[in-house]
Amino acid sequence: MIRLVTFAFLAMATLPWAATARAEPEVTVTLDATPTEVRVGEATRLEVRVRARGGRIQNLELNDLKKYPELEIVSHQTMRPMQFSFGFGSGVQKESSITNIFVLRPTVAGTYEFGPAVAKVDGKSYRSTPLTLVVLPAGRDTGGGADQAAAPDATVDAELTGARYDERAFLRTVVEPDEVYIGQQVNVTVYLYTRLRLSPQSVIPSKPSMDGFWVHDDPITSLQSETVPVMGAHYRAYVLQRSAAFPQRSGELTIGPPNVTFDVGGRSLFDAPQRVQREGVPVAVNVNPLPQPGPADAVVGRYTLQAWLDRTTADTGDAVTLRIDATGLGNVQDLRINLPPLVGVRTLQPAIRDQQHFQRGKLSGTRSWEWILIAETPGEHTVPPIELHFFDLDIEEYRAVSTPALSFTSSGSAKRAPPAIEPVDTRPKPSAATFGPIRMYSALTRGETPMRDQGWFAWLLAFPPVLFLLVMLGAGAARHREQRSATAGAVQRQLVRSAENALQANDPRSFYDRIVASITHALDSRLGDPVAGLPHAKLRTRLVAEGFDDDLVQRVINELEGADFARFAASGVSKDEMERCRQRTAAIIERIERSRKKT
Amino acid sequence: MRAWYVALALLVAPVGAAAQQPGRASGVSSLTGIFKAANVAASRGDHAGAIVNYRKLTEAGIHDPDVYFNLATSFAQSGDYARAILNYERALTLHPNDSKASENLRAAEKALEERRAEVEGEAMIRRSSSISDAIYRGLSEDALAIAMLVANLVFFLALTWTAVGRRRKGWLYGLLVSSGVVLLFCALGLGVKAGLLRDGPRAVALDDRVILHEGPDPRAQARGEARAGDRGQIVDRDRDFVKLRVVRGLEGWTPSSGVGLIDPDHGVH
Repeated sequence: MIRLVTFAFLAMATLPWAATARAEPEVTVTLDATPTEVRVGEATRLEVRVRARGGRIQNLELNDLKKYPELEIVSHQTMRPMQFSFGFGSGVQKESSITNIFVLRPTVAGTYEFGPAVAKVDGKSYRSTPLTLVVLPAGRDTGGGADQAAAPDATVDAELTGARYDERAFLRTVVEPDEVYIGQQVNVTVYLYTRLRLSPQSVIPSKPSMDGFWVHDDPITSLQSETVPVMGAHYRAYVLQRSAAFPQRSGELTIGPPNVTFDVGGRSLFDAPQRVQREGVPVAVNVNPLPQPGPADAVVGRYTLQAWLDRTTADTGDAVTLRIDATGLGNVQDLRINLPPLVGVRTLQPAIRDQQHFQRGKLSGTRSWEWILIAETPGEHTVPPIELHFFDLDIEEYRAVSTPALSFTSSGSAKRAPPAIEPVDTRPKPSAATFGPIRMYSALTRGETPMRDQGWFAWLLAFPPVLFLLVMLGAGAARHREQRSATAGAVQRQLVRSAENALQANDPRSFYDRIVASITHALDSRLGDPVAGLPHAKLRTRLVAEGFDDDLVQRVINELEGADFARFAASGVSKDEMERCRQRTAAIIERIERSRKKT
Repeated sequence: MRAWYVALALLVAPVGAAAQQPGRASGVSSLTGIFKAANVAASRGDHAGAIVNYRKLTEAGIHDPDVYFNLATSFAQSGDYARAILNYERALTLHPNDSKASENLRAAEKALEERRAEVEGEAMIRRSSSISDAIYRGLSEDALAIAMLVANLVFFLALTWTAVGRRRKGWLYGLLVSSGVVLLFCALGLGVKAGLLRDGPRAVALDDRVILHEGPDPRAQARGEARAGDRGQIVDRDRDFVKLRVVRGLEGWTPSSGVGLIDPDHGVH
């Protein structure tokens, strides 16, 4: 039994693998060009792709490319991404693809037929559909043709427009065309050209300003690149932004400089990432008014109109919905339709809906208007043909399309419409509120300058804080002086105490040392300069110059000389003599300090 | 003889001085005349005539709260409540404590809401919801400036005394804190009045439906609308278009003719 269960389990586990091995690979081969219609000298992007799910791609060929030497291959890129997916019950699924991208620049006009591209997967051949590339003679682009902005290398080698060249990385804004009519589409593409190995996740672009344009962005979902030659070097060109812009006024409009930041490096421990920032250049677009004479409400594009009523009979007072759809190439948000007044029918404001698509570099879409028509009188009501005028760029002429006349019949007596949809009486009605009386007297002032803007206000405002600062500075200086004085007094007292201790200890040498130090310190504090070491004659001159009276000067000199003498003949000094010296010194110091206070 | 010359000079000097200021003398007389004519027209119920004359005064540079009050009243009595609201706001900006102007402003807003509600079922005018505006609404700029000067002086005197005085008392600290609070309050008030907390000058929507577009062009896509009497701020300008931000955050471009600026300093309307 156990063996049976084990066998069954192994059989179930290997079944998906066996199924996978036996399954046919899913293969898709595509051959596409963007655009398929170009002019001589313009670039087109030819893409050959094979995608295989579950098989091994052996080969991918497009033999017809070699047949046409008139198609100059500007760049060639091959991508071989491979994916594995794991699904419950299906084992490991391998998905691989090969994509060859050629940027071609035709040199001769004509029609180029490409046979199917052939891919060989697991020994079996698969084919794409054929492709026709139409090359028109060189001439002015009317805006109705190819998506020129998609070819970054079209003019790079010849003239590096819309870019500030940098040999490491630079931004380029490609605007096509750069001379348009009001409302005509301008394709704006921002490329990052770089020779650096950037990290795609770190790329942070910022959009250029497009004042004066109505802009529809084609979102860039993944960062794709191509290799293009610029100034003899090969760059990777990434599309950062792709927009369709519609100028809203004539004159020269400017597309602002784009910005981007990205990281390079950081791929190994020894390769520190580096942030790179680049700014592009502004690009001008010349916008012309539409040719005159022409209908005033014409827009640029190519449109068709459809109109219908949701029913052709209704009770009087009931609503009938009129819908008009304008579909075509261009910016449908520019479209305006005015429904003329209908006799016996009340028309409510229309609901407007837009649907827009951006495909192959062109914006197209549908604008729908829905009017609610309320028949107020019985009978047949007719909606006249509605015209839409547009300027067709392909033929450079104004054209008009119109809807057929539409009718509906209302029957029955008129019933009063609910108040919610009664027509708005826009005439102002005076309210019952009273607003008077008016004022008979006025100073007729001329908007006096507010006090805060008067010149003196700032000065007056600054005065108290400035005064405060000055007071604080003064107080600080006084405090500093007092502190210094207090320190000097403390030293003085310390010296006097030391002298008294020496006196008690009957140590004449030390006592007279302190006496000299006390007098010298008192003089230092008074004069602000050290006087120790000065000869007595110079000290006398200095003290006289400082304004000390002669008696004090004489006493100071006498005491210093006596102390000096006694220090070196200390054995003959009595204690009484030292006591008298201390008293004389105290008196001298007091006089020196008094003299300081006096000055 | 010299005395005669002096007497003659004293007699002639004032006459000459008066002759040198003819514009001023006649200007005052003319402006007063226009004001009186406007008042007479308003009293007779000729609101259009009164509005024309009051506007002549404002266009001549008169930014007087009484003139704006009378202009607003004439607009209100003629049923143009949006312009009445604009001019009552202007009068209140110049004279915030004008209770009659406040009362009339509320009445004009109510009348506009009632008229719109009759047609649409409900209506509400978007007024400024700023707390700072509400706090300082009743205080004039000059009153705040004077209070700020006094508080500034008291604060720094108290601070100086606290810092350098030898005897510090409790009331001194109280004075310091209270004058500091008043100083901050006045400084913030002056900032609010000067528009430092706003992104642009205050405005009132004048047309019944002011369509707010994505760009400064009538063909640009509409984002929404402001209704007559709605308050907002002008955050940008481009030729004849202004970017209006209404008080609930909606913003868009609209022709400047449909919007009135409350602060006369900005000089668009």
